[in-house]
Amino acid sequence: MLGSNRPALSSKIYDVEDFAAAQELFHSNRWTDGLPVVPPTEAAVEACLDWALMPPDQLIGIEPVRAQPITAEKLAINAVMAGCLPMHFPIVTTAWQAMMKDEFLLHGVTSSTGGCGILVIINGPVRLEIGANATFNALGNSDRATSAIGRAIRLALINLMDVRPGGIDRTTLGHPGKFSYCLAEDEEGTDWQPLSVMRGIPRGLSAVTVMAALAPRQIMNEWTTDPKEILETFAAEMRANQRHYSIYGGNYAIVIPKQLRDIIQAAGWTKRDVAEFIYERARVRRGEWADVGKGAIVRDRPNKIHTALESPDHLLVVAAGGPAGGFGAVIPPWMGSKTKAVTAAIGACVDCEPPKG
Amino acid sequence: MIVRVLDPTHELKAPGVQPAVRPSSLKGKTVGFISNGKEGTKGYFTQLERMLREELGVADVIWRTKSNYSAPADAHIIDEARQWHAAVTGVGD
Repeated sequence: MLGSNRPALSSKIYDVEDFAAAQELFHSNRWTDGLPVVPPTEAAVEACLDWALMPPDQLIGIEPVRAQPITAEKLAINAVMAGCLPMHFPIVTTAWQAMMKDEFLLHGVTSSTGGCGILVIINGPVRLEIGANATFNALGNSDRATSAIGRAIRLALINLMDVRPGGIDRTTLGHPGKFSYCLAEDEEGTDWQPLSVMRGIPRGLSAVTVMAALAPRQIMNEWTTDPKEILETFAAEMRANQRHYSIYGGNYAIVIPKQLRDIIQAAGWTKRDVAEFIYERARVRRGEWADVGKGAIVRDRPNKIHTALESPDHLLVVAAGGPAGGFGAVIPPWMGSKTKAVTAAIGACVDCEPPKG
Repeated sequence: MIVRVLDPTHELKAPGVQPAVRPSSLKGKTVGFISNGKEGTKGYFTQLERMLREELGVADVIWRTKSNYSAPADAHIIDEARQWHAAVTGVGD
């Protein structure tokens, strides 16, 4: 623990009369998402930093387009405001490290009129340590940890990157995931490999995956035990997104709860099998745009095939959701491949060189 | 009871960007357009080019389009822009 040897916090201090006055201070300065916040006291912020073994001025990263440095202290303040416990804080810092990778294109993601949130998917032992619930009401208000972590991402965007509606955030239509959008994978409820392992993180390590994501589109198919028929419903929802939102391929996520997952697993399908099937089925002809009022942009390429995924690797298959119900969710990307999902191990340096020799 | 809270904003400003010296006149100069490639930019830049040439005497107008409309301009465009006297960019949908 850093304890008394920790360098002093450097943020400006405000003394307010009481809890209510703190709320008004934060709301009047547009430092919130519109909901009340936990007042970020020095003690609460220091507890987060101590948990993560980070000095206040530790540089978490520099946003690549606007060159904005993001420090541990400032992230901790926003995490406390969101309701995070100290044990949640390393997930917030790792998610931000991932978001600041060039391929994530954070500036475009957060300034676009296209309206996406940032989905955070948690894997590994940390899920259990923080009490993240990957089952009932996943993607909703399923538990304290995912709710607070997802909210911390948004509050930090607001306060550290000025991503306020009408400011940097030019979104035409947002979605509820822009308050909080965090999901843990139900690794105990599946034989499938965790998402983080599929994306190259060694098994046993905790990790987060961030994805620029539209709102979840829910599907239902309780009337078959054929994996192909189940997955066809997911693929159809992706095709609908291609026709109605963006035809271009990118990172999609599909969330498969236990009832459908058990059927698919019992048939011997792996996540890779799922991704390869979806890759083949989730594609549309450009000419289909004419069916949905977009004939003006078909031009001379009506037979060009657009795949929803650039390759099967671009599908994030996530096991999560309550135990009963033949439901699932498709989470489309923001604007095709302009952003890439990024996965980072918690407690690892994402920019460090491997040791030589 | 007084509650002591911390400022959640960045406070540390990003390194400032020094704007280029503005030309006193565009007459005889070269102006570049950096488009994000969206549909609405064609009409806008077409009209702007006409105004620059006819009303301000601009000698040459160069059009370039970013490969990703949500990302900064490609490096080769930035390099080329060093030869221009002025650039117009930041135009959205």
